[in-house]
Formats: sequence, C-alpha cells, structure tokens
Amino acid sequence: MTVSFRKSVLAASVSLAALLSAQALAAQEAVFAMSTNEVGAPTYNPIKATMLNTATGLLFDRLVSQAADLSYHPWLAESWEEAPDGMSWTFKLKQGVTFHNGEPFNAETVKAWLELFKTTEGENAYMAEAIASVEVLDDHTVKFVMSRPEPNLLYNLSSTFMGVVEPKSFAALGDNYGVTEVYGTGPYKLESFSIGQETVLVRNEDYTWGPEMAKNHGPAKVERLTFREIPEDSTAFLELKTGGVDFLLSVPADLMGEVQKEANLAVLTMAGQDVWYMPINVTKAPFDDIRVREAAAKAINQEEILAAVFGGVGAVADTFLISALPESHVSDGAKIKYDPARANALLDEAGWVMGANGVREKDGQPLKVSLWTQSDSIFRRLTEVVQAQLKAVGIEAEITTFDSSTIRDQYKTGEQQLAVRSYNWDNADIVDWFFGADRLGYPNVSMFNDPKAEELRAAAMTGSKNMEERIANFTAYHEYVLTQFPMAPIYQPVQAMAYNKDRIALPEKIDAPSFGAAAFLDLEVKE
Amino acid sequence: MIAPLRALRRPQGAVAGLWLILVICAALFAPLLTPYAYDIQNLPNAYQPASAQHWLGTDEFGRDLLTRLIYGARTSLSVSATAISISVFCGMVLGASAAWFGGWLDRIVTMTVDLTWSFPEILIALILVAIIGPGTTGVMIAISVAYLAQFTRLTRAQIMTLKGETFIEAARSLGAGNAHLLFRHLLPNALAPVLVSAMLATGDAIILEATLGFFGLGAQPPVPSWGGMMSAGSALVFKAPWVIIFPGLAVAITVVAINLYGDALIAELDIRSRLRREA
Repeated sequence: MTVSFRKSVLAASVSLAALLSAQALAAQEAVFAMSTNEVGAPTYNPIKATMLNTATGLLFDRLVSQAADLSYHPWLAESWEEAPDGMSWTFKLKQGVTFHNGEPFNAETVKAWLELFKTTEGENAYMAEAIASVEVLDDHTVKFVMSRPEPNLLYNLSSTFMGVVEPKSFAALGDNYGVTEVYGTGPYKLESFSIGQETVLVRNEDYTWGPEMAKNHGPAKVERLTFREIPEDSTAFLELKTGGVDFLLSVPADLMGEVQKEANLAVLTMAGQDVWYMPINVTKAPFDDIRVREAAAKAINQEEILAAVFGGVGAVADTFLISALPESHVSDGAKIKYDPARANALLDEAGWVMGANGVREKDGQPLKVSLWTQSDSIFRRLTEVVQAQLKAVGIEAEITTFDSSTIRDQYKTGEQQLAVRSYNWDNADIVDWFFGADRLGYPNVSMFNDPKAEELRAAAMTGSKNMEERIANFTAYHEYVLTQFPMAPIYQPVQAMAYNKDRIALPEKIDAPSFGAAAFLDLEVKE
Repeated sequence: MIAPLRALRRPQGAVAGLWLILVICAALFAPLLTPYAYDIQNLPNAYQPASAQHWLGTDEFGRDLLTRLIYGARTSLSVSATAISISVFCGMVLGASAAWFGGWLDRIVTMTVDLTWSFPEILIALILVAIIGPGTTGVMIAISVAYLAQFTRLTRAQIMTLKGETFIEAARSLGAGNAHLLFRHLLPNALAPVLVSAMLATGDAIILEATLGFFGLGAQPPVPSWGGMMSAGSALVFKAPWVIIFPGLAVAITVVAINLYGDALIAELDIRSRLRREA
C-alpha cells in the first residue's frame, strides 16, 4: 500500500515536472511515429523479446556497430580478434562506460549479460549459443570461448537483440525488466513506456561512447524523444502534416507522393530490409499437399502487386531473403515466380478440378482456405489483391482480419492456412527463425517441420567455420526451404521515412544499415 | 398499420421515406441495378474519379464505387435490421415476462438489463465480436445483444402501466388467462412504441455496424460494407477522397432519414409521451 502510494506521488510529481519542463525545452524535443510494423512491441527486454522496435536501439548499445556497407566497426568493444581456428574471440572493451543506473560496464558485466542468454527462458538464446563460456582476462578484456566457429558472431553482436543489458537490475526486475524499467548504456534512457501507445526517452547526459560511424559520439543533441505508435499510415501522415509528429519512421509507397507535395516535408530512403510474403501452413489440408502449396505460391503475381499496391517503389521478392544478401542468390529454378499455367496444372494434377463458380473442387469439397491479415490498411489492401490472385487459379481465400497487436498470439494456435506478413531483417538466419521446427506457430507461422531442412539448418546455423562456408550452407538451406513452398515471397520495399524539414536536421550521411543510434546521435532539432 | 403511410404525408417524412425506399430497393435489387461485379478487381483501372462509366469513380482495386455502395447497402441494412429484429423479439419476451410475472424473474431481468444499460453499446459490441470472431454473424449477434437492454426496458415499462388499466382487470374478471391477456391485450398495445424505437435503433445499429466494419471486424473482404469501405478509403483520403466520402455520405443520409421518418411516425402515432416516459 505504502509502496504504491509513494509510487503514485512520485509519478504525479514526475509528470508535473515533465509538464513544466516540456514548455521550457520545447525546441529540444522531437516526436517520432514508430514504423507501423513495429507497433505493439510488448517489451524492451532484448533477451526475451521476439520483436523489438527502433527505440530499443537507443536504450542499449552493442559491442559492435555496422556501417551502411554492412562492415563491422567498434562500439562498446574497441577492438577484437578472432583465433585462427575460430574457436575463440578476444574483445577489448571501452573504458569509462556506465549503465543508466550507475553500474559500470566492464568485462564482468559482459560475462554476466551473455550468461543471461543461457539462463533466461526466451527465443533469443541462439544469438549467443555458440559462445561456450566467457573468460574475464582483465577489467576491460573478455575472451569468448566458442563451442564451434561462428562466422555470424559479429552480426549477432551488432543486432538489437544483443543490446547489452545491465545484469543486476535484469535479475532484480524479473518480468518487469523492459516494461516498467530498463537499464542499458545507450544514448537515451527510458522515461515512460505504455505498450502499443508511446515511449518517451530522455537523453543520457553521460554518454560519450557512440558507434564509430556516427559523427557525434555523444551525448545526443536532442534532449527528449517521444515515439508514438500510430498503427494507421494515413493518420501518421496527417500528424506529420499538422505538426503533431516530426518524423515518420515508415512511409508507405502510396503516401510518398503526398509527402513530396508538402513544402516543409521531405522523404528519406535507405536500402530496404523488409520482405513481404505469404506463409503457407504446411500442416493444414489442402496445403499438406506440396502441389497445392506450389500452386498457391505461383498464383501470386509479384509484378502486379509492385505496380498496383506499391506504386512501383521497391522491388519484387522471389526468394525469402532481401536481394542484398548473398544467400538470396539461389538457383533460378528455386526462385518462386508468378506462373499461372503451372499453378493451374498442379491443381489439376492434385485432383482439384475447376467448378462452375470459378472455385476448384475435389470430392464435392470446394477449395476454400483462410487468409489471415492484420488490420493496418496496407496489409488489408495487399491481402485483397492476393485474394483476387488466388481466385484467378480457383482458390477461394476467406480473409480474416486481426488486430496487429494480437495476431502473433493467433498464429500460436496453428489454425492459420494462408496469411500475409512482413519481416524486417538483414541476415540469412531469418530463414532459421521463421522455418525452424522448434518455433512452430510463431515465428514459424508455416508450421514447417522437415527433416532434411532441419539437417541443412543445423549445418547452416552451427556447422560453418568461416563466412564463405556459412554463405554456402545458408544458400543451400534457403534454397531447399524454397523448394518446399512453405511461403510465397511477394515484395521488398525500400526503407522510406518522412520528416518535417523545418523541425529536423538530418546528418549529411547516415552510415548505418538502418535508422538507429548513429542517426539519432547526429540528428538535430532546429530552433 | 396505416400510420407508416400517413407519416409519408408529412414533408420530412416524405423526403426521408423516399430515401429509405431507394436504399432498401438498392439493397434488394443490387445485381439488377449495376453492370459491374462488386469483387472483380481491375488494378490498372484503380483510383479513377467520377466518370460516365463509373458514376462515383473507382476504388483502390479498380472496382466501381457505386456498385460497392449498392452492395454495401445490402450488408449494412441486412445486418442492422436482422440484429434489431432479434433484439426486439428477445427484448419483448424478456420485458413482458418480467413485467407480467414480477417477483424474482423481474428482479433478475431488471438487474441484468440495468447492468448492460450502463455500458456503451460499442463497448459491448466490441467485446462480443472479440469473443465470437470477426464477420457478419459476429457483428449481428453483437449488435442485437448491445440493444437488448433498450427493448427489454421499454416493453417492461409498457406492460407495467397497462397491467393496471381497467380493461385488463375486466378481461381478467371475465376469466382470461395469462397467455390471452399477454398476447391479445398487453403486447399489441405495447407494440407501437417498441416498433418505433426499433426503427430509430436501426439507425444507430447502422452506425455501429459501420464502426465495427471500419475496425475490420464486420463483413470480410471482398464483401463490401459501408464501414469497411470507409476504412479502406481512410488510407486514400488524399489520393482518392471519393472512396471514403460516398460511403460516409450514405451512412449519414440513411441514419438522418431513419430519424426523420421515425419522428414523423411518432407524431402520427401520437406516442411521444409514452416513449419519453420509458426510454
């Protein structure tokens, strides 16, 4: 009772203070609308979360940063060295780094943090799985002893999911870590977080250890950042237009023309990391028949979708990976492309004959399937086109629309047949994430569980000694998955953002794969 | 049953009645009225403004907007009217038995009804749709439950006042049983106000249906509903404003028409005082 009373008094005084200071420092603030596909992230706990938003990257620093060309650069680690046999890595850590709660960042905390991946229940254990143990060589030097060579280690260490958490508060807060409180070493601290609504961050005044590629290494120039979660793109655009928001972290293709019409707004584009696709649940009839899966996948006309739904901005997807990744270069035969003749032939062969009303039938049963989507307008629009394209080969898909924040729980039931989804990732291990047999339901929406795929997956994830081998193994795994048709690739967008030029000054060059900590450190608010 | 026709003689009743007849005919004869199908996409033809071929333009999939609007009337009207009918029927049964039998039955019904009465309809409907699942059936059930309290209360109050009238006492002393009294004397007398308020509630139900459709919980694509069309149009409000404007107008005009006609009907039937007393 006393605790909650004190807390509410504290909360009241904090919000009063926030109100007072908000007026004095109006120019030091910026309001961002979170990317619509990041709306509803339920926690800032990188060890446990299956989905993290842009703000996460400002709360936590990583040992390694990545430049726009996907090369690796120092961040919390000053330098590193890999043993010639790949069985150990030595990292020199930056000195003078502290967490938001005052705890020092050093070799001991790195060790304790990495152990969390092994001791905490969660989906992200694989990120640090190859690290058998961590040896503290001195206060600022750690050695990772590997259980096997891991060519992907630097990528993992640069990922938001390997943001360095403060281990003591992590242990003390339990499930509240990442929801009510969160402590990292990042350029911003968490002030408040209401799930699905808004996250407010305040500048970490002690911050001087920004990633190498940022011009400003800290503290950040803007004092306070508000990230609003606006699920509708056009609502977000209106907010930008009327000044309620300064920056949209995602702009759909069909609003880009509207943004360019406004004198005070500008579009920023970066190379895309998203793939839109249609997962196919391989366990649900009729999709337990690979011929029906292939037919459904080849009924999708990617070119038409690119032109009609996305206004020609971006590119078609014919594999599960973004084309920038070398693992996307599978043999031509494995690429999934629109082929209505093949789709029709396969359905005929599988015994589904065309009925009078344009829907195929077998043993008196119509070829009727469910098609799940989420309530954001672009998903609904794309899904309706997919529905019409499936209908063209005689598959009747019934759309069910779920709220974007609850659809992941729906997938866990495994009841879905087809769905329209998108993911955002720039590493081939996303194939493992969405098709690994130990994650059925969600993230493995396709419920894909194939012995040969599991073998190739093991080779790709854990059997590669160096980068070339890893690329070859992942290409083989990816190619095999494609030939089993657990999904149909649809579209690859560019990352398009929009901002108010009168309010926001962007750095000349953002040398990072996405709009993250480096960009936020250099970003300025105009007086 | 001549009152609904007499209401048409009043000026506002005539205008409103005409629009409603138009909308109902559109809903009934949709396939005869338009050469287009509501679900066939023609992507190169998307975002066309109004023209001779497409009187209200085309939507984001190149479908004729007027066609979708006409078929949408079908969804909106049938869902709302069916839902309200269910609601009226159940409400009358509950309300009449509560008033007539009194005692613990009355207490339970009144308490339950008062409890649901205290929540906004949209909240009850959203919760129910979340439980039943999206689609027209779910929306129909949700709307009928949301309006159940209104008709139960109204019927109960009507029967309560009529119960004490001398003609009931007279019938009873002549040996009339419960069923005879209820079905021959009480319910027919209570019917007029209930039906008029059902008519007005249908207007609200159309809005509720459109709201649920706007959230994507109503008729699932490609079946058009006015709310669903507005929701799709909200993303195109800059690019193709007609996609949201026309279904919006359809909802607004229809609901206003229902209310105007309802007012005319109330005046004709001279039941304003009875409605005010109970609702």
